[in-house]
Amino acid sequence: MREKLIYLFSAIAAVLLAWDLYRVFMVLPDEANQGAIYRIIYFHVPAAMTSLLGFFVAMVCSALYLITRNLRFDSVAAAVTEVGVVFAAVNLVTGSIWGRIIWGIWWTWDARLTSMLVCWLLYAGYLMLRRAIDEPTQRARLSAVLSIFAFVDVIIVWKSIEWWRTQHPGPVLSIRNGGGMAPGMESPLWWNVLAMALVATSLVLLRMRQEGIRREIDALRRYAHAL
Amino acid sequence: MLYLRQILAIAGKDLRSELRSKETVNASLSFALVILLLFSFAFDPSAETVREISGGLLWLVFAFAGALVLNRSFAREQPNDCLDALIASPTSGAQLFLGKCLANFVLLMAVEMICVPVFGIFYNVAWTRRIGWLTVVFALGTWALTIIGTMFSALTVNLRLRELMLPILVYPMMIPALMGAIQLTTVLMTGAPPGPENQVWLRLLVGFDIIFTILGVGLVEIVLVG
Amino acid sequence: MDTRNFTFMFYGFLAAWIIVLGYVVSIAMRESRLRKELDRVRQMIEGREK
Repeated sequence: MREKLIYLFSAIAAVLLAWDLYRVFMVLPDEANQGAIYRIIYFHVPAAMTSLLGFFVAMVCSALYLITRNLRFDSVAAAVTEVGVVFAAVNLVTGSIWGRIIWGIWWTWDARLTSMLVCWLLYAGYLMLRRAIDEPTQRARLSAVLSIFAFVDVIIVWKSIEWWRTQHPGPVLSIRNGGGMAPGMESPLWWNVLAMALVATSLVLLRMRQEGIRREIDALRRYAHAL
Repeated sequence: MLYLRQILAIAGKDLRSELRSKETVNASLSFALVILLLFSFAFDPSAETVREISGGLLWLVFAFAGALVLNRSFAREQPNDCLDALIASPTSGAQLFLGKCLANFVLLMAVEMICVPVFGIFYNVAWTRRIGWLTVVFALGTWALTIIGTMFSALTVNLRLRELMLPILVYPMMIPALMGAIQLTTVLMTGAPPGPENQVWLRLLVGFDIIFTILGVGLVEIVLVG
Repeated sequence: MDTRNFTFMFYGFLAAWIIVLGYVVSIAMRESRLRKELDRVRQMIEGREK
C-alpha cells in the first residue's frame, strides 16, 4: 500500500514539476528589475514552505509521541525532520545564490536569514542527537522534547520579515497581504509548493519504511540474543 | 509556599556547594577574563569600533563562560547517584529545574558583574550611564541563557557525548535571545536609551524568556524522569 | 551582466537538484545496507534455531 502511495505521489509530483518548469522557463517573461534570476523563487520559496511545514508536522508528531508513547510517531518525526533539513538546505543555498546576484552578497545577518540558518542548525542538531542515543525509548523521548523546543525558531523564521526590517524582501505573497506578484507569476509558485510537498511526502514515506526495517532488525537481534 | 521554599532549598544547595569549592565559578571567570584580554590586544579596537562591538563581545564572552557553569549544573549530580536521589525526592522535576536555574542565574550574574567593569577598564568604555536599563537587559539575557543551558544540561546529562552535544544544541537555540541582548547592550553602551527601533529586540527577549521558561518547566519532568 | 544572471540562475537550479538527488541517493544506499543487514540477521537466526 505504502509502495503504491510513494509511486503515486512521485508521479504526480513529476508531472506537476515538469509542467511548472515549462511555464517558468518558457512562458513567463523576465522580471523588470531582476532579469532571469528571479525564476529561482520557484524553488526557493516552495523549499522553504515544505521544510517549515515538515518541522511543524515533526513538532506535532513529537507532542503526540510524548502523549501516547507510540514509537510510530517518533519514526514520523525523525523522517519528516530529515527531509525538512534537506529542503531547508535547498532554501538556504538557492537564496544565497540569488542574493549574490541581486544584493551582491552571498550572506547577511538579517533576521530572516539568521533565523533560517539557526533553524537548519537546530534540526541538524536534532539528527545528531538521535545518532548519539542508542536506546530507542530514550532517543524518542529526548528528541521529541528537542523538536518542540526547536519549533519556536520556526515561528520566528515565519514572522521575521513582518517583525523586523530585513535585507530579505518583505511580505510579497497574497496570503501574507503583501505587495503581490505580477499576474500569472504567483500561480506556478503555489503549484510548485504542492509538487515539492508531494516529493517530500514520498521521501518521508521511503524513510519511514526504512525505519520499519530498522525496527525489525532490532527486534530480530533481540530474539537472536534470547536464543 | 512550600513549592517556593523547595525551589529555594535546591537553589541554596547548589549555591552553597559551589561557593564552598568555587571551582566552576573560578573556571568560568578566568575564561571570561582571558577572552576579554585576548580580544583587546588581538584587535586593539579604536573607540568607535569598541562601541559597535561592545554588545557582541560581552555576550559572546558570557555565552562561552556561561556554558561552563551550565554544563556542570546537572553533570555535578552524576557521581554517587545524586541525580536519582533528587528525582526520587518529593520535589517535582519542575522545582528541581527552577531551583537549578535560580542558582545558575545568580552565578552567571556574578561572573557578568565582575566582567563588565574589567571590560570598561580595558576597552575604555563608560558603561555606567544607562546602568538601570543595562541591568534589566543583562538580567533578561542571562535568564534566557540560564533557562536554555539548564534545560539542555538536563537533556544531555545521561548521554555519553554530553560535552559535545551541549554546545551544539544550546548555541543555535540561544541565537535569537543573544541577538536581542547584543543589540540592546550595544545601544546602551553608547549611552542612549533603547529607542523605538530597539523595542522589537526588547520584546523578543521578554517573549523568549517567557516562552522558554514555560516550555522548560513543562517538559523537564519528561526529560529527567521519562 | 545578463550572461552572469543566466549562469547563476542555472547554478541555483543545479544546486537545488544536486542537494535533493544527493539525498535520494543516500536514502537508496541506506536501503540496500539495511536490506543486507536484515538478510544477515535472518540467516543468523535460522542458523541458531537449527
